Amino acid sequence: MQEQFGVKNQSFEFTGSGWEYFKIWIVNLLLTIVTLGIYSAWAKVRRLQYFYRNTRLDGGSFDFHGTPQAILKGRLIAFGLLIGYNAAFEYDPMIGLGVAAVLALVMPWLLMRSLRFKLYNSSYRGLRFGFAGSTGDSYRAFLLYPLLAMFTLYLLAPLAHQRIKRYQFDNSRFGNASFSFGAPVKGFYILYLSSLAVMLGSVLLAVALAMMMGSGAAGAAGIVSGLMMAGPFIMLVMLVAMLVVSSLFSAYMQNLVWGSTTLGPHRIFSHVSARRLLWVRVSNFIGTVLTLGLFMPFAAVRMARLQIEAMGLAVSGDLSGFVADQQLNATAAGEETAEMFDVDISF
Amino acid sequence: MSISPSDPSIHVAAAYYDGQTTASKAVLLSIAGGDLLLRGDALELRWPLGEVHVSERLGNTPRLLTYSEGGHCEVNDQTGLVQLLAQVGAGRSWLDGLQHSLPWALAAMALMLIIFAAAYKYLLPWGAEELAMRVPASMLQKMGDSTLETMDEYLLKPSTLDEARQQSLRDAYAALRTPADAQLKYDIIFRSSPMGANAFALPNGTIVMLDGLVELAADDNEILAVLAHERGHVERRHAMRMVLQSSVVGLALAWYVGDVSSLLATAPAIIMQAKYSRDMEREADVYAEQTMRANGLSPCLLGTILYKMEAAYLAKMKEKHPEAGAAKDDSAMDYLSSHPATAERMRLMCPGK
Repeated sequence: MQEQFGVKNQSFEFTGSGWEYFKIWIVNLLLTIVTLGIYSAWAKVRRLQYFYRNTRLDGGSFDFHGTPQAILKGRLIAFGLLIGYNAAFEYDPMIGLGVAAVLALVMPWLLMRSLRFKLYNSSYRGLRFGFAGSTGDSYRAFLLYPLLAMFTLYLLAPLAHQRIKRYQFDNSRFGNASFSFGAPVKGFYILYLSSLAVMLGSVLLAVALAMMMGSGAAGAAGIVSGLMMAGPFIMLVMLVAMLVVSSLFSAYMQNLVWGSTTLGPHRIFSHVSARRLLWVRVSNFIGTVLTLGLFMPFAAVRMARLQIEAMGLAVSGDLSGFVADQQLNATAAGEETAEMFDVDISF
Repeated sequence: MSISPSDPSIHVAAAYYDGQTTASKAVLLSIAGGDLLLRGDALELRWPLGEVHVSERLGNTPRLLTYSEGGHCEVNDQTGLVQLLAQVGAGRSWLDGLQHSLPWALAAMALMLIIFAAAYKYLLPWGAEELAMRVPASMLQKMGDSTLETMDEYLLKPSTLDEARQQSLRDAYAALRTPADAQLKYDIIFRSSPMGANAFALPNGTIVMLDGLVELAADDNEILAVLAHERGHVERRHAMRMVLQSSVVGLALAWYVGDVSSLLATAPAIIMQAKYSRDMEREADVYAEQTMRANGLSPCLLGTILYKMEAAYLAKMKEKHPEAGAAKDDSAMDYLSSHPATAERMRLMCPGK
């Protein structure tokens, strides 16, 4: 921990516990079933509040203010869209494609709304977060760049990814302070290419090993029979490689995105260890399978702890200087309908 | 930060935020004359209790006391706050008790297991049957036609049986008396396919008979037995019920497992659907048995032809994969299989043999 003059590293703390969350989770699950899914919106609020309030920074905790009614409304809309989408495809594939196109057209707007809902309903020390992204920029980030990536055979995928993250982070606010996103496109390309290289390398390694196994017989026949015998072996190597690479990717992505972001004068840092992420993932998966899903709340707490505690703020001065955004709060308070339209579509 | 739980004092430490800045001020909370009193360094605030919203207990997370005019207090001293609020008779909600007790959590778990099992075993098959029986014949007709169209395009070839043979089987089938009042118009169509000896029923009553089965059967009554079985599938709307049941199972599992892994959601779904499939096969067997008896034929004929079909299938598999071992012990695979073990079906239909 280097300490510059007036700068103090403050790590996030996560104080949740698996057993505590298990009790909340199982009651949520039961009530959701008994109410045929209606309660799931209330369950989501409780889940988010449990995780937010257990996240602490410099003695203060975060909080979630979304109302179950708004979430329920968002879910009903999402459910309706899903049904309509499937029904349209059943009826006539051409109409289905039309509906898909319409969905793609409104998706950026919905995502923008969902970000607004999420951030406006998050607070720290009594001050709300906010999202100021424009509709036009949301179409560039969520539609234009992904389409560009698709038409260039995904050569531009890292660029599109960077643009999405930039839209999310650059437009986020805390009180009247702005987040500022500094992760360069280059960083995304390095991460994508090295992941690809590791993946390809392991495939080649697996195939080479398989050929060595089959080298008992001579010539091409030996290679073919080796490949056949080693089929399950190659699959296993691929699976392990996939797990390792995806853990490396998520850890480095989180570090890249958060580690290049500042909030006002304070710099955010993130040092998730890929090795620990891999371990948590694998053990969570095994625990979930062995307990037929009962381990899931424990898994969620372990993952949150790993990801949250790896992050922090290099605080310049102290954290008491943030001021509420009068304009943003005034519009939100003035319009009673703000929440009516700020639907939450994430599940 | 927190006061020890045994402290008899009714002052509770809290952090006060005014909602305008992130500045944190340490205060002591107390209750006086219907007001919540906040005392700190150069700070004294009175909030009428009716205007203060106290957040529900959620594990060990800080409780928040929010004033409707702005500002809130964050309290980490759980027991202190409960004691403080007890003075004004603030009780706990039933949900609070539920969410924080281990016995309730275990009870919820047991209850959920019972609900899941009951829904899987009784509610879902019953609901799907009620719904499937109400599907109009025109829709069944459309489903059957489109299925046949797709299969003809990709899987089936025209039959090589001569017309006279086809007609004699059609006549024998038409002469068959059925136990229940039949709801659909039945006809047989003949096709050939690399699938071998088999027959299957479409939702609209059309039965697709593959040449392989006609060649395999020693006796036309055996074919009638298979047809009666397939007719049972149609009469009991098995195709429709299967679609309904498996989509509900798939949705429920996807919801439960959430985003953990799609693999975790699909593998159990397949196993769970297999039971429905086996139940339907048994139901169709019972229907076939009743049909055979109503026509003075032995229900054992179905068993005989099932054995032959199984033997033909195994022989074919062996031909394709000579390295695979002998016929598997199919009773052990029963849980995973979409069909009940042939020996068991035989025993139920034809107890003598």
